[in-house]
Amino acid sequence: MAPTACFNCKEARAVIIRPKNRHKLCRACFIKIFETEVHETIIGTNLFFPGERVAIGASGGKDSTVLAAVLKTLNERYDYGLDLCLLSIDEGIRGYRDDSLETVKRNAVQYDMPLDILGYSELYGWTMDQVVEQVGKKGNCTYCGVFRRQALDRGAARLGIRHVVTGHNADDVAETVMMNLLRGDLPRLSRGTSIVTGSDASDIKRSKPLKYAYEKEIVLYAHHRQLDYFTTECIYSPEAFRGSARTLIKDLEKIRPSSILDIVKSGEDMAALVPVEAQTIKHCERCNYISSQRICKACTLLDGLNRNRPKTAIEVGVGMEDEESSSTLMRQMERAQLSAT
Amino acid sequence: MPAKELNKPCMECKDAEFELTVRKRQLCSLCFKRFIAHKVQSRLSVYRAFGLDGPKTQLLLPVSLGVSSSVLLHILNTDRQHRLDNGRPVGYDFKILVIEPSTVAATGIPFDQNYEALQKNFPMHTISRIPFHSIFDYAPEMVGIMKEYAGSKFIDDSTRSNEERLAAFRASISTPTSRTDVDTVLLTRLIVEFAKKSGCESIIWGDSDSRLAAKALAGVAKGRGSSLTWQVSDGMSPWGVRFEYPLRDLYKAELLQYESVCAELSDVVIPDQPPSENVLTKNLSIDELMLRYVQNQGAKYPGVMANVARTANKLNPSASDGAPTCALCASLLGNVKGNSGVTVANQAEDNHSSQFCYGCMRSRPDELC
Repeated sequence: MAPTACFNCKEARAVIIRPKNRHKLCRACFIKIFETEVHETIIGTNLFFPGERVAIGASGGKDSTVLAAVLKTLNERYDYGLDLCLLSIDEGIRGYRDDSLETVKRNAVQYDMPLDILGYSELYGWTMDQVVEQVGKKGNCTYCGVFRRQALDRGAARLGIRHVVTGHNADDVAETVMMNLLRGDLPRLSRGTSIVTGSDASDIKRSKPLKYAYEKEIVLYAHHRQLDYFTTECIYSPEAFRGSARTLIKDLEKIRPSSILDIVKSGEDMAALVPVEAQTIKHCERCNYISSQRICKACTLLDGLNRNRPKTAIEVGVGMEDEESSSTLMRQMERAQLSAT
Repeated sequence: MPAKELNKPCMECKDAEFELTVRKRQLCSLCFKRFIAHKVQSRLSVYRAFGLDGPKTQLLLPVSLGVSSSVLLHILNTDRQHRLDNGRPVGYDFKILVIEPSTVAATGIPFDQNYEALQKNFPMHTISRIPFHSIFDYAPEMVGIMKEYAGSKFIDDSTRSNEERLAAFRASISTPTSRTDVDTVLLTRLIVEFAKKSGCESIIWGDSDSRLAAKALAGVAKGRGSSLTWQVSDGMSPWGVRFEYPLRDLYKAELLQYESVCAELSDVVIPDQPPSENVLTKNLSIDELMLRYVQNQGAKYPGVMANVARTANKLNPSASDGAPTCALCASLLGNVKGNSGVTVANQAEDNHSSQFCYGCMRSRPDELC
């Protein structure tokens, strides 16, 4: 069978079928189109300003590695004038995070970006291994997700940076829309699809430049640019129900490849229809982090962990309450740094 | 007089043997029906604001001869009869519309006997029966819109019968998802036009909670999130006719239970076809996939599925009065006010037509997308 010519340049041999629209493309055109689409997202949403310092939340996985590579390319090609750096969170998962952090360290050299690593143990007094030891594997993703969100903001504040970009892709956003609908979570439905979050409620702006990029295309981009990324899944099992939502998204993609973007579009429209009273954002009374409740989720989870901490694990001679306040104190120190920046 | 000796009395009346378990309560059939009917009546209480002599709202009840809409008809009919017998205000009158099932889906299942049973068992109501292709009579402007929508894939021949013309249009749409989507749009439009011509102010749809959840999820997956405010929520539709979903607090399984204790419905209802096990996922329509998802996950997490329709019902209808709407389905064109996403901008590059909304564009024949 004769090779198919690239849909775009009509010259080179097509080697990729784009998952988004089934166009057959050559390697160079695919890479160019992928980058151009991310650029259009950045320009269309006024994501950056010249001279802005931006921290890339880097896990060593495909999404954040592609994000770092694309941003570096676009920053040079379109002269954004961004000062980019990598920010990694060490959740403290032996056999998973320690390996992926090695990848991030190599990325820092490859992309010539400074790297800062911040650990859960440093921020919260708990590594994820310790959390799992206490709460078991069921539901541990809740702890990790809640802690990571705050950790990135606090890490950025430590570096004096006010903008963190993350590698969330279109599949992640679509999954979040479905999950929020299934959970009946109107406040999250109103903000989960925004490309930029936190700009009004917190000092740190967070954004998702890959919001419209398909996960499959991110993998293809990483493959064809031969990017160095870490592929192992987290060793702790994911939530069963979220898993069902993810499977649903994958099934939808099989039926209609545009479904992922269609869900994102629906999510954006629905977000604009959420009643204002459901969107109120407060600040945690303890750590001042944004929260829909009086006490934020991270502080609530920490309370539970600290209350049940086995006495044998307390070796520094502090009582239960002291220890609880010590982790809160640590986070208060972070807050002091936040406000100082 | 000594009390009746009962093995397992109904938890509500304690005067009869229990027959059915609903929401962990064991009830006799009478109390069960009362419980189900109460859920529906509370949703329609807004139409009882007037006294005995007050004006009556005209409602349209589309009946597909499936379980849900037939149960809704039975509940409304029983309530109406009960109120008339007791000299209490009814507040509304309703007309029944049957779109001939054989003209919608080529299932080959005859429905004439079911229709006759409907006429026989509910003689107090005006029952109309129209075929799907009468959309050309009720909404003549649809021909032009269909031609524009399907482009060269649909060549209309006005010398042919309406049935053939509609079949030609439906054949122009290639995938099961798009066909189901466009069929739903056309059916809704036909029912709305019928309601308007019959002087009905509201349409009461027989969608159960489970069906609404599947509809909401499918709508979201097809890029129709902005239309949930009338496709799933109670509220004003873009055509100036209100949409109500009074079965929103009831699961499909409960409606099946209701049907099983209603002798009047046994000849009316066309039983649901069991879902085929041998279909590849990619050959399903999104609507079918979502129905299956809600059925499977709903069995494990019933509360979660109830969340979906409840959440969609909390969305504020879009405050975009006067904004341009889709020629086919009447949804908003472009983004809802306040949505600054760029998905629509991406789409605009592929297609310069602005007559159709995002969701309808996705269901268009391939080369026009």
